[in-house]
Amino acid sequence: MFRGAFTIWGRDMRVLRRSLFSELLAVVAYPITLYLAFGVGLKGYINDVDGIPYGMFIAPGLISMTAVSAAFDESAWSMWFHRRVQHTIEEYRVNPISVYDIIIGKIVSGFSQGAIKGIVVAGVIFLLTPFRFPAVHLLAYLFFIIFGSMAFSCIGTMCGTVVDKPENIGRIQGVVIVPLIFLSGIFFPLSSYPHAVLSIVKLLPTTAIFEGARLALLKGVMDFQYCAIAVFTAAVAFAAAVWIFNRKIEG
Amino acid sequence: MNTAISLQGIIKTYNGLRAVDDFSLDVRSGTIFGLLGPNGAGKTTLIRILTTLLRPTAGTARVEGYDILASAKSVRRLIGVVPQENNLDRYLTARENLVLHARMHGLQAGDYNPRIDELLELTGLAGRQHDFPDTYSGGMQRRLVVIRALIHNPRVLFLDEPTTGLDPQSRRAVWDYIQTLRSRMTIFLTTHYLDEADTLCDRIVIMDHGKALVDGSSTELKEAFAHSHRYLLTFRANEERYEQTLRSLPFVRELERSGAVFRLELAEEEYLKPLMDSIGGPDIRSICLEEPTLEDVFIELTGRKVRE
Repeated sequence: MFRGAFTIWGRDMRVLRRSLFSELLAVVAYPITLYLAFGVGLKGYINDVDGIPYGMFIAPGLISMTAVSAAFDESAWSMWFHRRVQHTIEEYRVNPISVYDIIIGKIVSGFSQGAIKGIVVAGVIFLLTPFRFPAVHLLAYLFFIIFGSMAFSCIGTMCGTVVDKPENIGRIQGVVIVPLIFLSGIFFPLSSYPHAVLSIVKLLPTTAIFEGARLALLKGVMDFQYCAIAVFTAAVAFAAAVWIFNRKIEG
Repeated sequence: MNTAISLQGIIKTYNGLRAVDDFSLDVRSGTIFGLLGPNGAGKTTLIRILTTLLRPTAGTARVEGYDILASAKSVRRLIGVVPQENNLDRYLTARENLVLHARMHGLQAGDYNPRIDELLELTGLAGRQHDFPDTYSGGMQRRLVVIRALIHNPRVLFLDEPTTGLDPQSRRAVWDYIQTLRSRMTIFLTTHYLDEADTLCDRIVIMDHGKALVDGSSTELKEAFAHSHRYLLTFRANEERYEQTLRSLPFVRELERSGAVFRLELAEEEYLKPLMDSIGGPDIRSICLEEPTLEDVFIELTGRKVRE
């Protein structure tokens, strides 16, 4: 069972291993730049947010952002490339594996890449900063990284499945993914929103992932609503990705 | 002999357009079957249905007795597929491509490694097995795709235009290799190259607009269409005079001249004697019956117009 999914995941990890250093360098550069620009650059202007030093306030969100962005990128581009350029999805489909093997293999690959890259960024931020957290907080934080990466990997897979022109994947990133990430309070407290808007923002899956992760890491609090939204989003995204892939591929 | 492939009343429509129109076919085990047709005839659609990549709109298709819809996984276990495009993974080496395919089929390393070694050796790729496919020539990539389809010892091999874009030497190499597989598996081949079908196939179906037009061996098809009575006539001298004479004969239907050589078509076979009586004997260097080629059969059935 899931032999095909495991084989596809193994293939993707082998390819990642070949270019691990350059991949990690590229993926670490962006959040570290943001951290230095905002966390260090603005330190003199913003001392703390709700009693938390600003550098410490943005660190969990930057790690989560790296993980979910990497999961989305890997899944979307990999699925698109295998489907439209290499046509390897067709090669997979003439083997005795199911459509579920292919989609699960691709989603788990995206999730794995997101998790690996998130952990590396976390390591670099922890190296650069004096902030330390109890191990139990890290475990709670991992919960949001896992479900966030899973959800964004599924969303990326959907994009890679339905989008035929590569520039449209970039447009989806620019118009949907980036606003979702940035509006969910990575760089500012959610309390900055007007009350009417806040109730809507709190329902966004990215808010659940980023704010939930921050609460988990900094305070050790597992907010039930955020946990439920993160799990629900991952489950719905997974079901939708499988359904869309099945429909698209089976013709 | 057993039936390896069976299609009954297959229909496939795309947005109201019938790509395959009530197509039925049985292919016997252990034979090389060729499906010919112009672009858009429906060949690739049929292969995609048989290899479980496409669902037919109507009809049933079986491979080695397994229904392509109800037992798709069982079908895929028994088939090897060489698609029109080289769908190799360019981020894996040649050997890794083969290993990935073997693992998809659930083979164990102890089984697939010797098989991969054997196939790489047989096709002359062993020395380049750790290189990436992008560094291969077109012919080498094609050979790699063919051996990838053979790792799991399929019972039916589907080859969709396997030599398109290859130079003559590479085409011959692929043909030679296909010939060696003849007795071991059923081969279902589509091609644009009529000499390829003529050389390789035990049986040929020419299709167009989603329907089968003729069915038979290459020899049978040529014989069935050998009613055109074409002759090649070569003169030693006085070609201009003979051209005038030939053009005046009412039973000469078509006449083409190339120097001293005339290609002509008689209305009926019995007009050969009146022809010889009309042109006499001393200036004739040779006269020979021009046998129809598979290409003549193909053009006669599908027309000369270029398809989009």
